[in-house]
Amino acid sequence: MHDRRIRGAWPLGRRTLLRAALALAPWLVARASAANSEPAPDPTEMRPQIGDHFVFLDGPYEGKLAHVEDLTLGGPQYQAYPASPEGVVRDGSRLNLIILARVGVEGVGEETRARAADGVVGYSGVCTHQGCPVNMWSEEKKALVCSCHGSTYDPRNGAELLFGPAPRPLPALPLKSDKGLLLVAGAFTSRVGIEPH
Amino acid sequence: MKNLYISTGMAALFVAAALGSACAGDYTPVTDARLQNPEPQNWLMTRGNYQGWSYSALDQINVGNVKGLTPVWSMSTGVDSGHESPPIVNNGIMFITTPYSQVIALEAATGKLLWRYKRKLPEGFSALHNTNRGVALYGDKVYVAGLDAVVVALDAKTGKVAWESKVENWKTGYYQTMAPLVVKGKILTGIAGGEFGVRGFVVALDAETGKEVWKTYTVPAPGETGSETWLKADTWKTGGASTWMTGNYDVATNTVYWGTGNASPWFGDQRPGDNLFTSSTIALDGDTGKMKGHFQYHQNESWDWDEMNAPMLVDFQKDGKTTKGLLKPARNGYLYWLGRNDDGSIKYIKSEGYVPQDAFKSIDADGRPDVDLAHKPATGKAAKFCPGLWGGKDWPYEAYNPKTGMVYIPSNENHCNTLEGKVEKLVPGQWWTGVAVPDLNYSVDTKAGFYGELQAYDVNTGKRAWRDLYSNSMMWGSVLTTAGGVLFTGGTNDRMFRAYDATTGDELWHFRTNSGIIAPPSTFAVDGVQYIAVQSGFGVDAAFQQSLMADLVGWNADVPQGGVVWVFAINK
Repeated sequence: MHDRRIRGAWPLGRRTLLRAALALAPWLVARASAANSEPAPDPTEMRPQIGDHFVFLDGPYEGKLAHVEDLTLGGPQYQAYPASPEGVVRDGSRLNLIILARVGVEGVGEETRARAADGVVGYSGVCTHQGCPVNMWSEEKKALVCSCHGSTYDPRNGAELLFGPAPRPLPALPLKSDKGLLLVAGAFTSRVGIEPH
Repeated sequence: MKNLYISTGMAALFVAAALGSACAGDYTPVTDARLQNPEPQNWLMTRGNYQGWSYSALDQINVGNVKGLTPVWSMSTGVDSGHESPPIVNNGIMFITTPYSQVIALEAATGKLLWRYKRKLPEGFSALHNTNRGVALYGDKVYVAGLDAVVVALDAKTGKVAWESKVENWKTGYYQTMAPLVVKGKILTGIAGGEFGVRGFVVALDAETGKEVWKTYTVPAPGETGSETWLKADTWKTGGASTWMTGNYDVATNTVYWGTGNASPWFGDQRPGDNLFTSSTIALDGDTGKMKGHFQYHQNESWDWDEMNAPMLVDFQKDGKTTKGLLKPARNGYLYWLGRNDDGSIKYIKSEGYVPQDAFKSIDADGRPDVDLAHKPATGKAAKFCPGLWGGKDWPYEAYNPKTGMVYIPSNENHCNTLEGKVEKLVPGQWWTGVAVPDLNYSVDTKAGFYGELQAYDVNTGKRAWRDLYSNSMMWGSVLTTAGGVLFTGGTNDRMFRAYDATTGDELWHFRTNSGIIAPPSTFAVDGVQYIAVQSGFGVDAAFQQSLMADLVGWNADVPQGGVVWVFAINK
């Protein structure tokens, strides 16, 4: 077990962090002025940005920055929200919910492996069926399960559907690792959320 | 449609239907008097009347001619998933709802589209059940309970929003699926979210303004009546008792009867005590919301057996006398006869199992079950129980026909769950039952000859009169019965809409629709012609259960989805 205190744990509440981040980031205001007519986007609602960190929403490291070693090899996944390097947690939109799972390399498809970081894969945590959190784990299938209607996704192969009513795989979120610290490496591979109605 | 059969005997019946040639401009306001005595040609509320009978006095379509039932018109809703709302009809204008809280107004006799309301749900919104179970009508407005825990009033003629009223914060797991109930100028609604650690309530809004008139929680706060049944501190705050089905109403005593869901989380040892008023029927004063009485079907709930459906108001024979009663086929597998006292209190009379159930050893004179702990799951203790968590019946409506004296129950048996609880930390707005979906361990008796069934019981003797067994399907169909001695229902995975002889149980007619029918049928008349209407659109729990049955016994998981409104009449 590593020492969380030297691993970038944030002891403050998220909103406090947001306020602090805003106070220390006048460039946000400057950017809004430059755009003149358009207000600055709410950074808590912005989709994950390259270089963002992750903050766990559940699990043993809830509220802490996510590292490869925090995840158990072989599952289960944990939920997280992306967070800017300045500490702004992007939990203003439910569509930013991410799941992180450490699947290793065995049996992992080529495309999935290319998007993984040190054996950790990231996906949208929003089920493509009805938008519920994909926060359950099937030990039997070693797979990600939606908490509403049981849609089951294979984390090793692009979150392809193994069971249930979801119409398509979960969007993947490319990851990279900086000495074990998990970071966003690219945009979601497809649109997050459910089909529009 | 040509050659529609019109009974000469119907002329008098339809004097009041002079407004039947529908266009939205002719809209007839809905009054308290009309809701209290709905005209036979109309279907003004979810279950047809305040007593919750799902019964129509129309008899033009009857046992003798129902074989001639033919589609008159149909319309695709353009929406997927589970359609669970009955067509509500007011003098020729039909209102249906779809999943995601859409409302569609149509000419009932022709299917002409009048208007459509599409609710814009918040970004990132999700709900365990995206369905909607229908509108309520009052005055010149149409009321729908939005999935995002907002009640919306629409102008009945145009579909324009008159007001919106937020009843709770969807981000913490609250949502709405039921049709509202109108009580003397107020719009009553409950709340769903029992899997998310909510605290249930019934709220009454002013029909004109949407402002809250009263709100009654179904889990008492410390110091309130019933709080002594929550023995562990703070468990009441997330105690469940959601209120996700429409109540019924006794006009004579101004009493609203509402059902409550199971307790949260699912495992009783995590919230010691009886946990009032979970899995109960509560009786509320229509003016103030004050609780006048209650009956709890099972204490310290641990099976996910919500008792969310309000009992039907039915007067039955007891000891040679007519008793003002409540009748309820409970999710726990027992059919209950209760006394409906004038002061609002509820008296247990008797109960009989309508499906085999292994969790109760017996039920005492006060209606309290003696629970077999071997079949009661707990934290760290797996236990199997039958029927499973979907119960002897889930939400689909039973029906009562005063002419046959029978109650018709859509039910399921030969299925079980094995659950083991865990202590979970609550993440607001997320599943919080103490057991994950992959660990629900649903099972069936693979040698059973059937799973779904439709049963008829005599309300006076309690004896089963007939039943129809479905060997290859569960039963998710609400029942409509009529003075024509007919019973209509769907509910099976073969997409059928069926008509039965209400007295004998003989199947008289069937029609294969686009999808599986899990919505309640309704009936109405326009210009002297009786119609039967239903939405077909499979989804939600019926589809989930079907996919589990595909794994267990090889049923086809692919029941087509997509909603369609069907309207039928007799082709001469």
